[in-house]
Amino acid sequence: MSLTMPNPYSGNYKLLVLAPLFLVLVSLFFIPQIKLGVDFKGGTLVTMQTNQSVDADALKAALTQKGYTVSSVKSLSNPKGYEVEVEIERDDSLTRAETLKSSFFSSIDEVSRLESDVLVTNASADSVAKYAAARQAIDKISDELFTIAASQQKASAINGSNDLKTEVSAAYKQITDGYSSSLSSTLSALVNYDSASFNEVSASLSAKFIDQAFMVVVYSTILVSVVVFIIFRTFVPSLAVLLGAGCDVLIALGAMGLFGIPLTLASFAALIMLVGFSLDTDVLLTMRVIKRKEGSARDRAYDAMKTGMTMSMALMLAFVCLFILASVTHINTYYEISTVALAGLLGDLIATWLLNGVIVLWYLEHGGQTGDSQKPFLSSIFSS
Amino acid sequence: MISVNEIIAGAKKREVVAIFLFALIACAAMFLDKAHGVPIYVASIVAIAIVAAFIKSDSIRVAVLIAIVLLSAFSIASNGVKFGIDFSGGVRIPVLLEKPVDSVTMETMVNTIKTRAASFGLSEVKVRPVGDSEIYVEMPQSSPQLISDVENLLSRQGVYRGIVDGKVAVKGEEIYSGTIMQIPSQYLQGADWGVSFTVTQAGAQRFADVAKGKGNYPLFMFLDRPSDSIIIMTEKQLMADATSKTRVVPIAKARALQIATSALALDGDNISLYLEEDISQNFSLTPADNKTRAIVSANSSLIAKLRSAGFIVVEKTDADMTPKYIVSPENPASDAVTVWASVGLMSAPRLVPSVTEGIPNFSYTINGPAEGATAALRAADALKKERELDSLLKGGALPVQISLGSKTIIPAPLGEEFLRLSLIGLVFALLAISLMVSLRYRHLQIIVPMISISLAELIILLAILGSFTIDLAGMAGILAAIGVGVDAQIVVTDELLKKEGEMQKRLEKAFAIITTSVTVAVVAMIPLMFFSGLVEIIGFATATVLGSLLGLFISRPAYGVIAEHLFE
Repeated sequence: MSLTMPNPYSGNYKLLVLAPLFLVLVSLFFIPQIKLGVDFKGGTLVTMQTNQSVDADALKAALTQKGYTVSSVKSLSNPKGYEVEVEIERDDSLTRAETLKSSFFSSIDEVSRLESDVLVTNASADSVAKYAAARQAIDKISDELFTIAASQQKASAINGSNDLKTEVSAAYKQITDGYSSSLSSTLSALVNYDSASFNEVSASLSAKFIDQAFMVVVYSTILVSVVVFIIFRTFVPSLAVLLGAGCDVLIALGAMGLFGIPLTLASFAALIMLVGFSLDTDVLLTMRVIKRKEGSARDRAYDAMKTGMTMSMALMLAFVCLFILASVTHINTYYEISTVALAGLLGDLIATWLLNGVIVLWYLEHGGQTGDSQKPFLSSIFSS
Repeated sequence: MISVNEIIAGAKKREVVAIFLFALIACAAMFLDKAHGVPIYVASIVAIAIVAAFIKSDSIRVAVLIAIVLLSAFSIASNGVKFGIDFSGGVRIPVLLEKPVDSVTMETMVNTIKTRAASFGLSEVKVRPVGDSEIYVEMPQSSPQLISDVENLLSRQGVYRGIVDGKVAVKGEEIYSGTIMQIPSQYLQGADWGVSFTVTQAGAQRFADVAKGKGNYPLFMFLDRPSDSIIIMTEKQLMADATSKTRVVPIAKARALQIATSALALDGDNISLYLEEDISQNFSLTPADNKTRAIVSANSSLIAKLRSAGFIVVEKTDADMTPKYIVSPENPASDAVTVWASVGLMSAPRLVPSVTEGIPNFSYTINGPAEGATAALRAADALKKERELDSLLKGGALPVQISLGSKTIIPAPLGEEFLRLSLIGLVFALLAISLMVSLRYRHLQIIVPMISISLAELIILLAILGSFTIDLAGMAGILAAIGVGVDAQIVVTDELLKKEGEMQKRLEKAFAIITTSVTVAVVAMIPLMFFSGLVEIIGFATATVLGSLLGLFISRPAYGVIAEHLFE
């Protein structure tokens, strides 16, 4: 298979930059439309296995009528029959209960200490006042929880803080259990399923995922930038490499918005991996063009392109297989990783060869230095 | 081409023979000591890789490569490949900690959950720490009863009971949890560690009544003490600690039995103790009611008999069944069992006579000595004991607030189907990439090594990741890694196919490119792998990173040889 593509860098190559710029602009338009998956948004994802197809719209309508805020209902066929996937938004009262519970537990120890002070100091006026004030605050939280749990209890009627703790725990459990059991009984009345799995992501859990994902993005960006600058030690080529990777991620994000691929932990991992993949070809191109001398720079870029295309094709083949696997099994993890990776690899072709390539060539033809006089930083470590 | 003679000459080198001998021994060790198969595999791979790093000869490097592939293939056959519940079916409940914890606290948390799971008879539950802020609780089955039991266990506190001479002296619900505190060292008065707490009015009265006149008696501290139960143990278990070598004067069997029985005493809810040797000849035990539990070691021969007699059998490990004693010749009243995991006995401090005068008192302290050869070890031990006691008094509460993450339930048949299809997918990916490589290069001398290297990488990847656990994201990562691994080879092959320049130089240039891109790809993944705690996708990150690294470290020696023989 010999590549017979003409050398794109032979003519006025600078215009090639327009293609990636256009794509990035289009992507920027679609990025706000990215849907957050259950991991980042919180909510309940129910996956049911049935042996007959289910009318998704009717199910959605029925659930909405029952008071659930349904984000999506999907009915797909898989090797064991049919799979129905229902995504339900986080119930407000549940989120509220979670907040109340965590603020209750963060102050209960202090309240119990104040209560014991009353005993130990033989009910000194100061300790009694302090305990009463603390109890009042925590009673308010407890009463709200009791109301959500539809319980008739009043916190002020509960004597010790230890008993209050027991009652609050029970009320919270009643709220969460009540929600799950009413959801599953509602669903089992509507769908005749063989098995069902409930994936619940609470508000605090999704907040934690967002925090961690954000941290990963920041640290990966910093680390990668530092490493790239250390390796190339010249400003423009380093910037070109990073720009190529950045464009690639933007294009992949745009594709997610366009095709409705939700941002979940799996697609997030694929995005981070794309940084590595896209840098693969960027590094190949930049090293071949900047650090070599044989032939003209344009020929070297074209040469690198032939190798890079083969590499990208090998990777794409792997992800096409994953995508086919996803379409057979309907495993969301496979589906999200493969689509994001494929979109990103396609974007990488454009970002690397039409943006990074152009910048590097322009840099060389306007006075940039070539040559491998400075040996690549890391190869000295590994060379034999 | 490589001639047969060259292969024979290479194989005759002493180093090559040594490497294969080592690999053979490692395989034998894996086979003979199956329990430690995984550590043996990992250690031998690391050992070979380190040796290889110092060797420059190509034939030896290739030998190393072949040895690692053989070891990996053997590990897959002998140790097996572990799949997550996504593929084997089951339930996983992630437990999220409110904040990251150090390794000591993490160990305490994992052990607390394990202990509590065991006290519920849920021995098939697996508890493992993931990073510094998450714990996975996994079970192989997905029965709704089991799931709700475990969720209950995690969300509900345990029950603490302090028992003196067969009567409950301290109840967990009568302790103010906010007052449980580790005592600063300057107030310890000679002890190495201490914990103080305050009880409620009712609690103070109860303790005063029960402990009156019981100076120097042990206070048996239980967590989730089983009720309506009997315990059946072997004489060996009873006497293991009584006759331990560290004991100056061994405890006689009659005395050990006496001490153990008194530890199990509680008015109205005694746990009767039976010795297996005494009852196996003439088995006549009957349960008190249909909920009576029989606590017995997991390998006991009596389990079937107990079941048919109508007991609910709770199986425990040998270690859990073995009581630990403390005796003092000058004060026999304080002789006690201090730890006995199978009945939830966690500790047995001695009552100081001053608190046993029958006067209600709100605040108490428990203190004691620490063990360890050096001051640092003693300090660590003291801290550990304080934390354990702290958690025990709070009813097995974990040192850090937890919340339950999203549980995953996979029915077993579906998991197996996913696995089958995923493995087919792997084979297809390998075939598709082989086909592409064949069309691109069209020379058997290039195609065959490329495909064999990819296959070798796949075997190593499966063996390494399978030594831990392959989940859905990990499987996706393995598939991606096939593509990643072949990428490195494409760069080298294209570079070698160029006709200009010296062969060795071109090889070096190609490896400069691969080294750089692998470095960047690995660096990009490091925050995700090591610092994020996003365990759901760590398998994916690990697989792709390993794929890149293998691409680099395997292509290098292989292409050293290939370049020499195929391209010149």
